[in-house]
Amino acid sequence: MFKKILIANRGEIAVRIIRACREMGIETVAVYSTIDKDAIHTKLADEAVCIGPAPSKDSYLNMEQIISATLATGAEAIHPGFGFLSENSKFVKMCEKCNINFIGPSAELIDKMGNKSEARVTMMKVGIPVTPGSKEAVYDVDRGLELARKIGYPIMIKASAGGGGKGMRVARTEEEFSSQFNTAKKEAENAFSDGTMYLEKYMENPRHIEVQILADKYGNVVHLGERDCSIQRRHQKLIEESPSIAISEELRQKMGEIAVRAAREVGYYNAGTIEFLLDKNKNFYFMEMNTRIQVEHPVTEMVTGIDLIKEQIKIAAGYRLSYKQEDIKINGHAIECRINAEDPEHHFMPSPGMIKTLHFPGGKGVRVESALYSNYEIPPQYDSMILKLIVHDDTRELAISKLRSALGEVIIEGVKTNLDFQYELINHPEFENGEIDTGFVERIL
Amino acid sequence: MFEGMFKKTYIKPDKKQRPKKVKKILREIPQVPEGLFQKCDACGHTIYSEDIAENYYICPKCEEYFRIRPRTRISMILDQDSFVEWDTGLETSDPLEFPDYKKKLAHLREVTNLEEAVITGEGSIGGAHVAIAVMGTDFMMGSMGEVVGEKITRAIERATSYKIPILIFCCSGGARMQEGMISLMQMAKTSAALKRHDEAGLLYISILTDPTTGGVTASFAMLGDIILAEPKALIGFAGPRVIEQTIGQKLPEGFQRAEFLLEHGFIDKIVERKNLRYTLATLLNGHV
Repeated sequence: MFKKILIANRGEIAVRIIRACREMGIETVAVYSTIDKDAIHTKLADEAVCIGPAPSKDSYLNMEQIISATLATGAEAIHPGFGFLSENSKFVKMCEKCNINFIGPSAELIDKMGNKSEARVTMMKVGIPVTPGSKEAVYDVDRGLELARKIGYPIMIKASAGGGGKGMRVARTEEEFSSQFNTAKKEAENAFSDGTMYLEKYMENPRHIEVQILADKYGNVVHLGERDCSIQRRHQKLIEESPSIAISEELRQKMGEIAVRAAREVGYYNAGTIEFLLDKNKNFYFMEMNTRIQVEHPVTEMVTGIDLIKEQIKIAAGYRLSYKQEDIKINGHAIECRINAEDPEHHFMPSPGMIKTLHFPGGKGVRVESALYSNYEIPPQYDSMILKLIVHDDTRELAISKLRSALGEVIIEGVKTNLDFQYELINHPEFENGEIDTGFVERIL
Repeated sequence: MFEGMFKKTYIKPDKKQRPKKVKKILREIPQVPEGLFQKCDACGHTIYSEDIAENYYICPKCEEYFRIRPRTRISMILDQDSFVEWDTGLETSDPLEFPDYKKKLAHLREVTNLEEAVITGEGSIGGAHVAIAVMGTDFMMGSMGEVVGEKITRAIERATSYKIPILIFCCSGGARMQEGMISLMQMAKTSAALKRHDEAGLLYISILTDPTTGGVTASFAMLGDIILAEPKALIGFAGPRVIEQTIGQKLPEGFQRAEFLLEHGFIDKIVERKNLRYTLATLLNGHV
């Protein structure tokens, strides 16, 4: 087992990973940018190294600095968290060359599944249903138009190297295809330095169901059930829950098996998520695979009782999975609510600033993941998510009641947050009866 | 806030500080492999070597051009797998029996994997058949002695007989002093071969790279029908100190850099390294 791990991230996920390491008796190294010098993850870790100035590209994305910090402190492994370098195959290759264990899959796996259009082709080869769309990558608008005609409108134009909702546009008719394609392509070039696009048949308000998988380096793969992440605003998730109320036990098993098959097919190891879209007729389609731990991993942890971060570390250290598929049981229902420092009244603009009064809820089945403390100054340079509230109870109804109570108890003063907006969402009758899809939030707004 | 307040992982309940003896555990200690990172001499940043190679051996942070080896240049410029090397195995006769010269050459051959300061041969660029000579500073600062002169002359003559253009990538500290007069003679020899090539109506493109100085500048480097240069390359004959002392004046800003030469009509065009292959392909295919 590793003696020391460096956490190449910040905020609540850095705290989460440090906590898992502390529990395992593994020493931790935190890295921070100059503006994060008072962040709590730097105090909680056993050591902390400053890796650069505030902009992410000079600090949390600075591969040389992070590698140097790892070597200087004698850390044997790096946990990348999510975002930043977690799916950067170049960084993983660098780690491999320097004999540093990267807690995640290999560089080739990241490249294979990170190239979204290629991933679709790989899945198609093994008979896994994918969203109807282009079989190949699309490099220019004329080819795109040709393919779009065959697939049928409306068309979703997506970036092959994409993620986080960037480089995506919908073309409802042939007339708007060219301009939407070119806009999406430009966005992709700016965000990912890669303007390779692909097309999918646009599904009207599908449900977003993702399956968590864990695989060790010996070919053992299990799935840990699904998460329903349909509540999104502009492709950013707001509320996630497990299990999904939209799928039957039979469908759950089927999707789980397919997810495991997909992971096995590519030789995947460590934690990963297979994302599916579910249409109104309960047909599911592979959309993409995320080769990292995800923000919403706590809901899976609550219903399965498995600590995903610890499992990631164990897998990276060469341990075999200590359970089989039949050992995995889904108990009760868990819901996560993301709180962001943003102003819902002004187009959800980020709202950094100093935290004044802070109060977190507690109690049975109430879990808070946050890096906030009183008088903490939220810097403007990074993601606006500041807190995750997760609740767990025996049924969805009970979980919703618990979420209402717990969310109602959260106090964050000093910055604007989407707390009240979330409160509105979970009290909405559509949320209660579970008739939610990816269009839900837009309907509320 | 919270500084030093959280109980650290390595603190055992009954001990107040880190245990003194840290057991040496046999495991693979992360090490940076040699050459994985490089320091840019211009901006001082440590750069991932692969990034430099992918960026045409230009510093991704400050755009400083690194000097490149002849074989690297050939792989950047010529069509893949088109290069055929000429005239290997040539060795100097050490005409002056210069002390330690042979020893130095033997050492350099081992360390650089080069036989001499120039590699010559033929290949194609964008399909156009060319003769090519590429010099490099790794071997005795790219200085020209009888082997360099002979290889270049043979390359020019072969180009003349095949009726193909010749490209010479110039890079040199000047004539090789260890071979005295023989080195200086190479200036005349190469120039004469170029004259015959020119009389045959054939094309010679010289590409000046950093640094191109001394006897090489004063002979074949400046005889190109088309003279190209890389940005900021040092191109001159005598060194700046010698010039300053001779004329008794301070030299202007940017003196002897490619941009200065362009302004004063000594070269035809400055071409960025990433555009060199395309530019040469255009010139060669247009010329035919």
